[in-house]
Amino acid sequence: MNVSTKWLSTYVDLSGITPQHLADRLTLAGLEVEGIQPIAQGTNLVIGEVLTCEPMPHSDHLSVTTVDTGSQVLSIVCGAPNVAAGQRVIVAQNGSVLPQVTIKKTSIKGYESNGMICSLLELGVDPKSLSESQKEGIEVLGSDAPIGGDPLAYLGLDDAILDVKLTPNRSDCNALWSLALEVGALLNRPVHLPKAPVYTEKESTLVVGSATAKCPVFIGKSIGQLTVGPSPLWLKRALNAVGIKSINNVVDISNYVMIETGQPLHFYDASKLAKPEIIVKDQLTGIVKTLDESEIHLHHDDIVITCDGHSIGLAGIMGGDDSKIDESTTAIVIEAAQFSPAQIRHTSRRVNLMTEASLRFQKGLDPMAAAKAVERSTQLLVELANASELEKTVVYGQPDATPKTVSVTASHVQRLLGTPVSNDTILDIFTRLHFSPVVQGDTLVCRIPSYRLDISVAQDLIEEVGRFVGYGDLMGTLPVMPMTLGGYDARQTLRNRIRALAVGFGLHEVITYTLVHATKTTQGVNPIPHPDSLISPLSDERQYIRNSLLPSVLESVAYNQAHKQSDFQLFEISALTHTKTNEERLVLIQAGKQVLSRWQHETRDYDFYSLKGLVEVMMEELGFAPQRLSWIPVSDHPFFHPTQSVKVVLDRTELGILGKQHPLAAKALGMDPVLMAELNLEPLLKSKTAKIKYSAINKAPVVVRDLALLVERTVSAAQIEKTIAEAAKAVLLDVEIFDVYTGERIDASKQSVALTLRLQGEQTLTDAEIAQTMNAITEALERKLSATLRG
Amino acid sequence: MRDKLEKLREAALGELNGAASAEEVQAVRTRYLGRKGLLTEVLRNLKDVPLEERPLLGGVSNTIKEELSERIGSRLLDIEQSAREKALIGERVDVTLPGRGIPYGRLHPLTRTLDEICSIFLSLGFDIAEGPDVETDYYNFEALNMPKDHPARDMQDTFYINTEWLLRTHTTAIQTRMLEDYAGATPVKVICPGKVYRKDDDDATHSHQFTQMEGLVVGYNISMADLKGTLEGLAKAMFGESRVIRFRPSYFQFTEPSVEVDVSCHICNGKGCSTCKGTGWIEILGAGMVHPNVLTMAGFDAEKVSGFAFGLGVERVAMLKYGIDDIRHFYTNDLRFLSAFKRFE
Ligand SMILES: [Zn+2]
Repeated sequence: MNVSTKWLSTYVDLSGITPQHLADRLTLAGLEVEGIQPIAQGTNLVIGEVLTCEPMPHSDHLSVTTVDTGSQVLSIVCGAPNVAAGQRVIVAQNGSVLPQVTIKKTSIKGYESNGMICSLLELGVDPKSLSESQKEGIEVLGSDAPIGGDPLAYLGLDDAILDVKLTPNRSDCNALWSLALEVGALLNRPVHLPKAPVYTEKESTLVVGSATAKCPVFIGKSIGQLTVGPSPLWLKRALNAVGIKSINNVVDISNYVMIETGQPLHFYDASKLAKPEIIVKDQLTGIVKTLDESEIHLHHDDIVITCDGHSIGLAGIMGGDDSKIDESTTAIVIEAAQFSPAQIRHTSRRVNLMTEASLRFQKGLDPMAAAKAVERSTQLLVELANASELEKTVVYGQPDATPKTVSVTASHVQRLLGTPVSNDTILDIFTRLHFSPVVQGDTLVCRIPSYRLDISVAQDLIEEVGRFVGYGDLMGTLPVMPMTLGGYDARQTLRNRIRALAVGFGLHEVITYTLVHATKTTQGVNPIPHPDSLISPLSDERQYIRNSLLPSVLESVAYNQAHKQSDFQLFEISALTHTKTNEERLVLIQAGKQVLSRWQHETRDYDFYSLKGLVEVMMEELGFAPQRLSWIPVSDHPFFHPTQSVKVVLDRTELGILGKQHPLAAKALGMDPVLMAELNLEPLLKSKTAKIKYSAINKAPVVVRDLALLVERTVSAAQIEKTIAEAAKAVLLDVEIFDVYTGERIDASKQSVALTLRLQGEQTLTDAEIAQTMNAITEALERKLSATLRG
Repeated sequence: MRDKLEKLREAALGELNGAASAEEVQAVRTRYLGRKGLLTEVLRNLKDVPLEERPLLGGVSNTIKEELSERIGSRLLDIEQSAREKALIGERVDVTLPGRGIPYGRLHPLTRTLDEICSIFLSLGFDIAEGPDVETDYYNFEALNMPKDHPARDMQDTFYINTEWLLRTHTTAIQTRMLEDYAGATPVKVICPGKVYRKDDDDATHSHQFTQMEGLVVGYNISMADLKGTLEGLAKAMFGESRVIRFRPSYFQFTEPSVEVDVSCHICNGKGCSTCKGTGWIEILGAGMVHPNVLTMAGFDAEKVSGFAFGLGVERVAMLKYGIDDIRHFYTNDLRFLSAFKRFE
């Protein structure tokens, strides 16, 4: 909200208080001032009279003038087209600092110039408030302007605008009168609000009413006679200062009173109303033509102003075009009403019309503001628009005028703030705020003024004390509470361990957006069915809540590949939350190659086994022994390589898919294929992890035997290992495959697999026992896998 | 005889000095000290010398023999050492070439920042609670003293899934769930980090998705002073021991009194700079005393217990801490950004 300090100072004495001081005080009291903008700026300005003005020889636009500033006569070269002898003007003397320039003594074509005659534009006045001639020429002051006086004060431009950001609870300060009361309380200075005189008024023929609960109060008043004309300068300046354009005295008064009281007003041209009757309704359909000449199609919830059965305005948002005030208006009807903030908000949003009025209604109003606004308008209409033939105010409904009573004890104040505040201080603050505090024993009973909608419980009163006293001197303490252990829960611990492992393995963590394009919801791994979407998204790009993590991470991969990064590893952990599910997933990515040493040409392409190995080690570290994992080939997933991808299964639960990206899927995303896995972490939280156990060193010697087998290429390493393990029984320590060969030297359908077996018994194995075991193994391999032993 | 011995000695020493390799030294040894060596021969001929001269000549020749043996030994050691030195020099590496890469990854800067904040509160005995990103209107708004159509809802433009469900706009939604879980039991000491969403167009300072962290304490006689002390600890831990904080009264629907919390600028130490827009203060979080309505709705006796809550934007903290100028960097995941969090000491 824009607050004119000059306007404010008509209610509360601000002498000795700079705009900066006032802004700081307001900010520290919770009314944050975000900016201070002077209306006009300039130091060392003085009112002068142009004594002589001669065109400069050999110049087509410069004039040589002498100007009397009271204390001296200055010779000034002036470039303005409108400068003339006899004018009273604004003189920026040598040393004057203006928004654009600093004035100093100069010489122009041999003529000395000691200062500048100024236009308002040069003083930084908003060009929107200036006429064309004011923008092009110097400002010519009235003949009453005191020579040697302050031109800004004379023009009423000695003002600064505070940009006050009001929190929703303090919307009362949208009314300048309420703000004045607040400032008065903060500065402890008296506040004088205008009081309208009592006029002689005749009985009213106006009928007002409401057929909807969304308009509980409607106040109307007929003014039988008035004169529309220009507003006086002070009124124009006041409105200009807060960014409202002056139209004419009558319209200006409605705006001026709205600023003062916070109450939006509407003035109807009485002659344009079919009859002196205004009824507020909803449940209407049809069209209303508003002041801005747009046609609004009514919704049955909208609050509508009607006259004689016709819709003449969109209540609280904008009046109708048909009954608006213009130059020919001679009689008006004043409307000041209360409308449902929620409904004004809904309608205003639907028709996309945010007006000063609609914003004020939405924020909530002092229930007494409507009556105050009608009285004040009447006064100003009488004073500035020759209003006469006043009719009595007619009121529909009853403003809730019962003052709220809220109590608090000093000890509660001290307890909640954690600092000693004396009873007297609290009493003083409440008194300054016009809370009329009454002491009843330990309790302070406050009667809350109607405009303070935000005060309803003791804590609200405590906040008033807090913000008046300020928190600057509050000494910080730590809460005194029973000891608690604190710590990460199982889920957080799992996540932290995975993160630590992944980083240790060289993966960078990414965090991607939750919201994705619809197409991404069909490109994932085990996507959660029926993903939720937004009613009104910002864009199609961010409409769906993702149902798989992989597509988002692949976007980051593609981005990095497009930015000349080819070799990297990434991971992300995130929950996939939907209204019906919440599942934590892990994505792992390996792209390009692992570069150990570029200058030594030591690199290694990431492949299926590098990612599988990573998952194996990670799972083991997390407490899941390799035997509990199975790797089931996946050949029909659209985004995975048909022969280099597996389902990862823990015990009997599928975790997800791991493998190489299908070349077509990569191409569709404009990227190079990567190794990728998306795993559901929920089963890990539900599965038992193995305890790490120490096993005593077996001192019996280990027997090492190598085997070379020729088997079909379809026989997997897992099958071979399983067959050997079953045949060797307890004496098998481990099997390690150290070579797999396919190629020219053997049949194309076969592969050669070389393994090392390590055998160990509880006692030293005898030659016979070893032979027996090896025979059992080879026999099983031949029988079950049709393996033949090589050399 | 004596001259002959002396000449042999000199010749042997000369040859020894000229010997460049172990082999040549061995050859000298054989030539002079071997079984048929020149010196051995002279000694063998000692019997031809007059008896009275024998002891003297014997002594001299033994001395020469010993000297020669010793010189041969040390010459061999010299040769061995210089050979070894030469070999070692040949194994020289360029120590300025980069070491072999041990693959390393980095945690996302948001995770790091959050971890850092969490560790402060874990040490104070706080629990860490999380909740779903997809929330109900009730937990996100209604239970926080913001009934439907409350104007305060406008402060947070919301992504709705339907009339009941939405993407949470603040981690205060987790706070609501926590209060309900505690069902009136104290003490409550919990921090609630999580992703939140607002209907904002993405630009350098706005993101439709960001990370918040809420802190909540409920117990007996919990005061604003406790809030200030706790946040002072946080500010010092995150931005340095010399930081101080300032409370400015503000408004949140779920706290009363409410404050905005400024931390003295860690860049300029409060003197005023571009980061703090010349004010010397940086607004870093919102906080307040939990509103009695919120406590009551969650089953606490608001007459007996009180509490404080605070919420901060993790991106904002990370941006201030690491000097990041664009919030979108956090979600683009450019590796050049992710790996840029190195130590500059
Ligand atoms: Zn600074």
